[in-house]
Amino acid sequence: MTSRTFAAWVVRRLAVAAAVVAGVAVVTFVLIHLAPGDPIYLLAGDGGSPAYYADMRARYGLDRPLPAQLATYLAAVLTLDFGYSFVHQAPVSRVLLAHAPASLLLGGAALALATAAGLFAGVLPALTRSLAVDRVVRWGASITYASPVFWTGQIFVYVFAVRLGILPAAGITTARETLTGLAAGGDVLRHLLLPALTLSLPFAAIIARVVRAALVEIAREPFVLATSARGFSRARVLLGHAVPNVLPPVVTLVGLHAAQLAAGAALIEALFGWPGVGHLVLQASLHRDYPLVVGAFIGISASVVFFNAAADAVCAWLDPRVRQT
Amino acid sequence: MRRQDPAARWMGAAILAVLGAVAAAAPLVAPGDPYRLTGPALTAPSWTHPFGTDDLGRDVFAGVVHGAATSLRVGAVGAAGALLLGVLVGGIAGMRGGWIDQALMRAADFVQAMPRFFLAITAVSLFGGGLSLIMLVIALTAWPGTARVFRSLVVSTRRREFVLASQAAGAPERWILRRHVVPLTISVAVAHASYQAGGAILAEAGLSFLGLGDPSVMSWGTQLGFAQQMVREAWWTSVFPGLAIALTVLGCNLLADSVGHRTDRPQPIP
Amino acid sequence: MRRLLVSACLLASASAAACSSASNAGQSRPVTLVVALASDPGALNPAVTTSGNTHPVTDQLFNGLVGLDEAFNPVPELAERWSIEDDGRTYRFFLRPGVRWHDGTPFTSADVRFTFEAALLRYHSRTRAALEGVIEAIETPDDLTVIFRLTRPYSPLLQRLDVVEASIIPRHQYDGHDLLTGEPTRRPIGTGPFRIVSHTPSDRIVLERNTQYFRPGLPRVDRVVFRILPNAAAAVAALEAGEVDYVSGVPGPAIPRLRASPAVTVVPGTAGPGGALCQDVLIPNLARRPFNDPRVRRAFAHAIDRAFIHERVYYGLGRVATGPISHLMTWAYTADVPQYRHDPAEANRLLDAAGHPRGRDGVRMRLTFTHAATHQRLGQALREGLKLAGIDLALETRDFNAAVEQVFVKKAFDLGVASYCNGVDPDIGVRRAYVSSNIGPYPFSNGAGYRNPRIDALFEEASRQQDRARRRDLYVEIQRILAADVPYFWLVDTEALRAHRSTFTGFRPWTGAFLETVAAVAAETP
Repeated sequence: MTSRTFAAWVVRRLAVAAAVVAGVAVVTFVLIHLAPGDPIYLLAGDGGSPAYYADMRARYGLDRPLPAQLATYLAAVLTLDFGYSFVHQAPVSRVLLAHAPASLLLGGAALALATAAGLFAGVLPALTRSLAVDRVVRWGASITYASPVFWTGQIFVYVFAVRLGILPAAGITTARETLTGLAAGGDVLRHLLLPALTLSLPFAAIIARVVRAALVEIAREPFVLATSARGFSRARVLLGHAVPNVLPPVVTLVGLHAAQLAAGAALIEALFGWPGVGHLVLQASLHRDYPLVVGAFIGISASVVFFNAAADAVCAWLDPRVRQT
Repeated sequence: MRRQDPAARWMGAAILAVLGAVAAAAPLVAPGDPYRLTGPALTAPSWTHPFGTDDLGRDVFAGVVHGAATSLRVGAVGAAGALLLGVLVGGIAGMRGGWIDQALMRAADFVQAMPRFFLAITAVSLFGGGLSLIMLVIALTAWPGTARVFRSLVVSTRRREFVLASQAAGAPERWILRRHVVPLTISVAVAHASYQAGGAILAEAGLSFLGLGDPSVMSWGTQLGFAQQMVREAWWTSVFPGLAIALTVLGCNLLADSVGHRTDRPQPIP
Repeated sequence: MRRLLVSACLLASASAAACSSASNAGQSRPVTLVVALASDPGALNPAVTTSGNTHPVTDQLFNGLVGLDEAFNPVPELAERWSIEDDGRTYRFFLRPGVRWHDGTPFTSADVRFTFEAALLRYHSRTRAALEGVIEAIETPDDLTVIFRLTRPYSPLLQRLDVVEASIIPRHQYDGHDLLTGEPTRRPIGTGPFRIVSHTPSDRIVLERNTQYFRPGLPRVDRVVFRILPNAAAAVAALEAGEVDYVSGVPGPAIPRLRASPAVTVVPGTAGPGGALCQDVLIPNLARRPFNDPRVRRAFAHAIDRAFIHERVYYGLGRVATGPISHLMTWAYTADVPQYRHDPAEANRLLDAAGHPRGRDGVRMRLTFTHAATHQRLGQALREGLKLAGIDLALETRDFNAAVEQVFVKKAFDLGVASYCNGVDPDIGVRRAYVSSNIGPYPFSNGAGYRNPRIDALFEEASRQQDRARRRDLYVEIQRILAADVPYFWLVDTEALRAHRSTFTGFRPWTGAFLETVAAVAAETP
């Protein structure tokens, strides 16, 4: 496990990641421009004359042939210029950067909640050694994983926001006042709770299942019986020895599901009016905002790939055998 | 506790069987066009409308019953696509090795890196929401996981002694594949692909929820999308279709679990 | 219970604020009005866009030469008076003295000329389409006079000069900058009742009172916050919770509940940045069978149950349409036209006579209804009703762009649908759908492909005629001819409902500057 081979491994993964992202960009660009329908009517206002639309088409560069547009675009991307959003009338990079924090906050909070809840639920059966608890955790996880996030979200909104009125139904901050400092942070957290909770559920379920399965195996190991015979509490043994062994599969899982997390986030953002990238992409697709869609795709796939690579790197660092695959 | 809960083993298959029967019997259970306006708008569940009516006066129960067919189709196609493409790609990569293996696995990386849901959103909003397009996108993006798992299993099986013995004895590769490798690994691949079924159903429901589904077929996701405006006034428009989705996906996952448990191979993590 | 408490507290605090500010806005506690907006407005240059997301914001920051009252008659705004000379070929505007831009620079006639020449007549779709061939020259003999010289008389000119259609932008800010993407589009400087404080993308836009506004005593609120809430149900929930004060698009199912709530006031909105006096209209393709036959069209008109559609699909909002002009355009509208009441028996009879007998399966004809997702419910309601007449309607739902392209550009459709907005004058939004010169491959043109030289001549004359009584006669004749010919199927004069908290009053939902006269209500018993 020399640091040099590890570094080489990381570099190789990054190179692959870059190639993959480039491929995604090209495919998306071509796909979008092949689609039927002329975006000019959405961009340029209604009730215009044919001459007007021709002028506007030229203005937005939509009248050039596809290969020329693609070449210009790729050249620009290399200088980190992702074009200009038609709808938002601002550079794409600026629009994406303005919306990224909300998505990262949502995703991060959901992951944190999912890991905490999943670990807790997964450890419980092995700790309590109760068949009933085990059954509850397993069935609960299965049902939770199967429930669509936009459905559980609707139910949470109905229960907590409409019926009980204790949490806000939508948005990221309260509309009326512009709060600062701690009050602002608290306000955001209040708005974050329901969406993050909803998004975290499927991932908590998966983590719970994996942790449970791994711990149940480990709990049978002789060393556990031995140490508990020597007087150490079962809980300490399990938590001290077992949980670190469980981390690699959990981390891999999280990496594998990064794309799913992004998809779930898009649905949650639509449901809760959360101003993140997922919602942005949906609106951009519907409004034929080509530069924004392609830019967002590049951003999202780069994040997913990076996330996967990071997860693999953590696993490889924890367990050198994994590096062979 | 290593043994699977005996209830779970048959429950998955049972759920799907019931749903399949409901879908097939839709014309009998809820005759007529589910889009038909059958009663006053926004009525709560009653004897005539067991799941109530929506804001146009359509029967929610009829919608749920007819939506079963859509979801089952999407799930089946998703699983089949994942299985066929995954086994094909994984098998070739595992048996051949070398640069073919590398190239195919990079292709799998590429497809996996593509944000599948956003790709579907874009494809549907650009090319129109047909169920075939949705199923195509899902099937074409579902295979990398299965391919990877299948490939590593193929690689490890190849090194088993009896396979090496067959090779030494001069048996052709295809025969070795068919006779030894496939029977040992296929169940894992099937389990992995079955998880894709649940994922496919959720993906289609998500697209329909956003308004991008196929408007000519009834879908639970579409029902949930319309229900968004009415959650306060009509909880039944949201609860029943969502319950149907959850139940179906649960059935798929339980079935996948039970298939996977039949071997003592390391279980694929969903 | 909790929500009642919260609402009561908000009501009390708003009333407390109102008490102090009712007499003089901006005193002790600032009054903030929160408006829900469906999506981010993007660039804030109103002279180059017709977007219904941009104008609700910019119409509070800018002004037009004239304003419009509830009956869409012009009232003074940036122009304090005007004269129409040369039989309507010359319009002379006398600008209000002492008006300043938000940065203090004086407003002059050069700004008006710049706005038209550099922005409106090049980039504003509707203004360019209508006025490009009409305005011959714009003269500015001095700082406070603008003269429009027209190529021919054009009576609806004044209706096109309000803040919604022709916002005046500052020359000194825009000169030398790109009008679509330049820096000024992010820091708009206008003459209007509010000025911009900040714009957080996809979250909110904050405006504050313009203390130098040329109308003394206005505006009466200190701050306006546009909150971007893409989900209409969430916006209504926020309204009821008191987080938002004004919502402009209330979804149907929520209306009865809002009407019953004393904390919320519901008002009809007939005009404004989203479009004025809109109608949902079915578009038959007159270039192909079966709609090339007027008998079939009349039969079809009898087969549609407008009352049912109005009640179910449109939640009873607005009114069933009778013809090409909305009933709200009172000076030009007439109900005395051939009507087509819902009569399946008559429809069947007419279709038999027109040579479309029922087949063995009971179906006379198969038609495809091409539409976007917003009209999905309409399609389903139509399909049900048309079965009685033996018409099998296949629903083809496309995304908005593709649907528009299919119907207007490719003209490969049987039946389409569009929301044709009349505009504040029939010449603005009615004419374009019926004159043969407007048949072409672009949206919201004469999609049916209707050709009638008499109609062409009537519309042309009405646009030149200055006398309103005479114009009414012309439009009445137009309505009679069109109702008999049925080139389109007019379904509903649509009405979008606006809802606001009862703690505020003075909204003007028929115009762009709907917040100019808003004030917080004095304290009442909660």
